[in-house]
Amino acid sequence: MHIVIIGSGVAGVSFAEKYRALSADDDITLVTREHDGYYSRPLLSRGFSKADIEQTIILKPFNKLRENNIKVLCDAEVTAINRADKSIVILGGQALQYDKLILAQGSSAFIPPPFRLYEKLFFCLNSLSDLKALRRFRQGFLDQNQRPDWAIVGGGLIGCEVASDLAVAGDKVTVFHAMDRLMERQLAPEDSILLLKVLQNSGVNVLLNQAVQAFSREKDKICVKTEATAGFDGLIVACGFKPRNELAELAGLETGRGIKVNQQMQTSDTSIYALGDVAELPNGKLYAFILPIRNQAIWLAEFLAGQQQGFWTPPVFTTKAKVHGFEAVHPYNV
Amino acid sequence: MSDYKKYQCGVCGHIYDEAEGDPDSGLAPGTLWKDIPDDWRCPECGVEKSEYALMA
Repeated sequence: MHIVIIGSGVAGVSFAEKYRALSADDDITLVTREHDGYYSRPLLSRGFSKADIEQTIILKPFNKLRENNIKVLCDAEVTAINRADKSIVILGGQALQYDKLILAQGSSAFIPPPFRLYEKLFFCLNSLSDLKALRRFRQGFLDQNQRPDWAIVGGGLIGCEVASDLAVAGDKVTVFHAMDRLMERQLAPEDSILLLKVLQNSGVNVLLNQAVQAFSREKDKICVKTEATAGFDGLIVACGFKPRNELAELAGLETGRGIKVNQQMQTSDTSIYALGDVAELPNGKLYAFILPIRNQAIWLAEFLAGQQQGFWTPPVFTTKAKVHGFEAVHPYNV
Repeated sequence: MSDYKKYQCGVCGHIYDEAEGDPDSGLAPGTLWKDIPDDWRCPECGVEKSEYALMA
């Protein structure tokens, strides 16, 4: 049997390693657009306060997986899934046949429609290549003994983490948040207030109830237009994530916010499964956190190896915002 | 009866059990939490030691 996995994040890699451990004979091919290896997504939020992050973020080089008899095709963009002949098409390459296909492409940054016109004016922080681009931009300022003045649009989990890390690294940071409190989706109101104080104490300027309307470039500044207009050196949009559904949609699989799966992680095609950020369970939920994703991946590997029956059920889990000096009092809403 | 304790990563849920250590990252069974170097990182998600909490 040939199992093909698309994506080399925690879902794809955990699945590949577990399945390899359970089945020595089947062929496993992991296809990924990444280049550097399997890296820690949570550590993206510590990308500025740590000098050696571009090396230490790599948890496993792809060769480590190859040594484990997992074939890895990196720098590979999949352009189509041909369900009729059970193959995928790789850009500039040939078709790859599969018996079972695992979709684990993760998510990209969600860009609110009004901002899409301005994509050249802002950064996102959703992948290691995003982080490297941001670090290069920032280094340009440091090389001239300057500190960039940042605007971050979005006061959710990623926005707060990045604001905190840039401030701790010594930069000037302003957060624009649309709602009346930070991380309102995950935190109790009391903890949002605590988080606000922690960020303010590290020097972050937090602006709540901000309706950001547009961006513009004025000489070497990027301007954020709300009721007033303010200029910054760099702009980061952190407004949530969007599952990478495109391939599944093109192939005619059932999709909603993510790729629809049953409780055995199977899509509307019986040979195709989905894991992680892209998988939408029958209860409408996407479990976009490391712990449940690893749990899903391991469950599916066991299931496909014939060592698991029944249905995947989410484990009890929590999360933790990686904001320097912040500990929530109440449990997170996940 | 051992006094070994367990610590859990707050980001990914990985459990470090002092009794078992983490041989893959060079920590022999029986390595106490306090003896783990500060630059040791969660073997599953890469975050630093300070993200772990003692399990009840």
